[in-house]
Amino acid sequence: MNPITRALYFAGAALRMMRASPWLNVVSVLTIAVSLSLCGLFAMAFFNAHALIRDLGSSLTIQVYLADETTPERAQAIEQRLRGHEGVRSVVALTREADRERNRKLLDPELLEGLDEEAIPGQPVLELELDSALASRGDLERMVEWARQIEKVESVEDVAFGAERLRLLFAVLEIVQSVGVVLSLVLLASALFFVFSTVRLAIWSRRDEIEILALMGATRRFIRSPFLIEGALQGLLGAAVAIVAVGLLHLELEGLVRDVYLLNVQPSLLPPGMVMWLLVGGPALGLVAAGLSLGRHLRV
Amino acid sequence: MIQLYNVHKRYENGVVALHDVTLRVREGEMVFLTGPSGAGKSTLIRLLLCTERGSEGQILIGGRNIHALRDDSVPFLRRNFGVVFQDFRLIGRRNVRENVAIGMEILGLPRKDIERRTEQLLEALGIAHRGAAFPRDLSGGEAQRVAIARALVNEPAILLCDEPTGNLDPTLSREIIDLLSEVNRRGTTVLVATHDAALIERYGCRTLTLEGGRLTLDRPRRDAVGLEASGLGASAVGTASAAAPPGREATQEPAEAP
Ligand SMILES: Nc1ncnc2c1ncn2[C@@H]1O[C@H](COP(=O)(O)OP(=O)(O)OP(=O)(O)O)[C@@H](O)[C@H]1O
Ligand SMILES: [Mg+2]
Repeated sequence: MNPITRALYFAGAALRMMRASPWLNVVSVLTIAVSLSLCGLFAMAFFNAHALIRDLGSSLTIQVYLADETTPERAQAIEQRLRGHEGVRSVVALTREADRERNRKLLDPELLEGLDEEAIPGQPVLELELDSALASRGDLERMVEWARQIEKVESVEDVAFGAERLRLLFAVLEIVQSVGVVLSLVLLASALFFVFSTVRLAIWSRRDEIEILALMGATRRFIRSPFLIEGALQGLLGAAVAIVAVGLLHLELEGLVRDVYLLNVQPSLLPPGMVMWLLVGGPALGLVAAGLSLGRHLRV
Repeated sequence: MIQLYNVHKRYENGVVALHDVTLRVREGEMVFLTGPSGAGKSTLIRLLLCTERGSEGQILIGGRNIHALRDDSVPFLRRNFGVVFQDFRLIGRRNVRENVAIGMEILGLPRKDIERRTEQLLEALGIAHRGAAFPRDLSGGEAQRVAIARALVNEPAILLCDEPTGNLDPTLSREIIDLLSEVNRRGTTVLVATHDAALIERYGCRTLTLEGGRLTLDRPRRDAVGLEASGLGASAVGTASAAAPPGREATQEPAEAP
């Protein structure tokens, strides 16, 4: 018998076992589907949030206000120093006049009427644009710390770093992440348990056959394969159900987001990579659970 | 074919089921194993099948010592045996044909061969008309014939029967033992554990008696009385074993079918 016929033989045996206890198998498959979908959704929420953070991070700037009397040489020296720092994409130096010019444009022309040029606020300033490589909260905190140190540099009057929103986002994300990880683990464990139980029942209801097979010279692999395939099939079906469910949710959400141009980020719940992960993860979960169940309940 | 040297078996609970048993069954012999309940007959069969391991002594099957056989070699040892039990042990979910096919599925034979061989065996055992029946619908005699067909399907060198007639009335019992004798005439070594003194008398085969785990009597074949026990008598039968399929020695480990 070639490997394919043999695999088909085992698959047939597995299908017969699944047909013998259909409801338990349905429950197993659904538990796997629910846990895989939620794990996938958590993962995608996390990735999408990260994309959002990257987006926000790339628009972050630090303004370093210099004292009025700073000489151009001094300003240039500070600029050089900042430019070399990690995470700084570019530094634009504005003279007092340039800053004043910019402020003038921001102010209401009526307000400026008859105003003394000197009364318009203006200060030499270095504007730092940051890399979008702020991948983690740690990166951001380091940047905040660095901004504080800049404040202590001679001739620097003030430093403005509008990172509060981003810091909040990171904090929220961290909570979501830990809740997601814990919940995913609980869900995966329960899926594992359901497959474990169905396989146990299958072993139990087939103990007479297992005994005869062993007595007649069947190898361990021959006896175990159908049960492992049963687990893997449950996992595969669970993954398929999960993919369909999340796919539908994705379409729903896509319609919603298209109407609300809020975000720069295109949220995706079901990228091809995720589909692949589910298709591999489902059967792997089923295999592991079936293997554990065999180890626990089958003495051959 | 089967050799035991000073075999002891002590179960985990401390019961000594076999005590210093030494015996030899030659290729092509038919041997009854008898003795009172608890004498150790089933234990002896379990040791041969490696479902239990001996505590001391040596067991050779086809010249190979199975005392230290690795766990993953056990299935290949078992393929030398056919087994038949008192309670038939047919699989209720499988019909008669599917029960008989089990051994060939293990070997991974092609479906066509399995079907042909199954029909052939059912025919030979007179149960061809019951091929589609399920075990719960079989009479005791039919069920035991199916069990024998299942045990013989891969032409084992040795047929081990533990109380094969225990659940059958005397007429059916005789039919089953007639069947086993016929199997033996075709070259298979047959070992039958039984309580049934009348049966043993009727057939006059070599008879080993166990009592309290000790081998107390080795009575030779009736027509061989006077000759050395299991010596000439067995070798005379042994010539018939040329008909036995080759490649059935325990020393051989056929690679598992792919
Ligand atoms: N798995 C076991 N664990 C412990 N003791 C056992 C086990 N199997 C059998 N025994 C004991 O070993 C002794 C021999 O049992 P065995 O089943 O071999 O006898 P037997 O000759 O087949 O008896 P019977 O004619 O009743 O079938 C008995 O005392 C029995 O209680
Ligand atoms: Mg017994």
